[in-house]
Amino acid sequence: MKEELKKNLENLLKKNFNTVKVTCLEYLTGGASNETWKFQISSGSNKEDFILRRSFGSSSPLAILKSEEAEIQRLVYKEGAPVPEIIAVADKDSPLGDAYIMKYVEGETIARKILRDEKYNLVRKNLAFECGAAIAKIHKVPIKKVKGLQNKSAKDLIDQLHDAYKSFQHPLPVFEYTFKWLKEQDFGSQRYNLVHGDFRLGNIIVDEHGLRAVIDWELAHIGNPIQDLGWICVNSWRFGQSENIVGGFGQIKDLLKGYSSISKNDITNEQIKTWQIFGTLRWGVICLIQTFAHLIGENNSVERAAIGRRVSETEIDLVDMLFLGGN
Amino acid sequence: MFDRPTSKELIEAVYLFLEERIKKELPKHLAFNVQISINILKIVMRELDKGESLTEETKQILINILGDSKKATIKNLAKEISQGKIDLNNKKLKEVLIEITKKKLSVDNPNYSTYKKLLK
Repeated sequence: MKEELKKNLENLLKKNFNTVKVTCLEYLTGGASNETWKFQISSGSNKEDFILRRSFGSSSPLAILKSEEAEIQRLVYKEGAPVPEIIAVADKDSPLGDAYIMKYVEGETIARKILRDEKYNLVRKNLAFECGAAIAKIHKVPIKKVKGLQNKSAKDLIDQLHDAYKSFQHPLPVFEYTFKWLKEQDFGSQRYNLVHGDFRLGNIIVDEHGLRAVIDWELAHIGNPIQDLGWICVNSWRFGQSENIVGGFGQIKDLLKGYSSISKNDITNEQIKTWQIFGTLRWGVICLIQTFAHLIGENNSVERAAIGRRVSETEIDLVDMLFLGGN
Repeated sequence: MFDRPTSKELIEAVYLFLEERIKKELPKHLAFNVQISINILKIVMRELDKGESLTEETKQILINILGDSKKATIKNLAKEISQGKIDLNNKKLKEVLIEITKKKLSVDNPNYSTYKKLLK
């Protein structure tokens, strides 16, 4: 199987390199519907590392194709955002299937390491600014060029989330309250930008020099850009460093400084707070989705069983923010 | 009617075993899942320990806001909120939601940052 994969990779990359020999083909991660591999190409004395991401038919009708992900990354790369360079894309009918190859970016993705290792002490001071700037560059992508993504207004997102929550018939008064509250909020004139959808530690590559790359574009869509700023402020994504509102490493003023260094969009703290509340609720619903997948026997694991008891963490963050002026 | 160890003591024996003897023997990925398993067992222990009294206290809180003892359920509170029967600005509602959520965290994760903050 690995041999076949090697051959298919070499065939795809013939257009890019004179002599293609794939070595050190290594499976990294994957789930039921997609895989990530790492490999090396040697041409002469030059060795370069690459990543293959491929999917076996979508897990959900809303999931975007890997080729669409690649196209988004290409557009984001053009805006100067830190994102791995796309080398090649394969069609779903090709021998490799729906897939793309990108340059491997060296660095760390594990949140606790980035937040605690001395190695990143200096990086952390500037990371909120860097993230703000990167997010702004993502939002600058001209949406006319983006194909295959759905337009989702704030109302669409809230309704979709509400439907998902209701499907489990597991009534949660705090969630009901938050849904009602969100539906009363004025999200202003609807803005439509490219949104990453899951920008946080875990989905960014960091090294001793700073933010190197933004990865994992599966949840990308077109919608209100402030949700990317709210999401990284959700308490769960601070991985225990709660005082640092942005991702466990920074403060909102620095996130916004970074953002406004690139974008003229005027964004208020209040708007970020509203999307942080939405994001907290969204994460809570995701916990429900994961734990019920385990409970119906679709995807058993201790992780998914345990995650059901993290719903209450999102509830306490919501009551803190909604009633007690919490951050 | 059952003998020692009690169910709590049995659970404690298992998670101490996992924590002290097993976790360090395993490769990272499995050790991570063993830690999750330990946390799950601790949740169960806390629930066995306080679950009944917390449920009873919650029932009293719900009777206080919903009136009827028969109607005093989480399900009905959720329904009344979603049907707009209780106003979002209702002070009592906010207090009730805070109290019930704190009780949940005392079992699910008493170490959670926001929970510890709200206890002060």
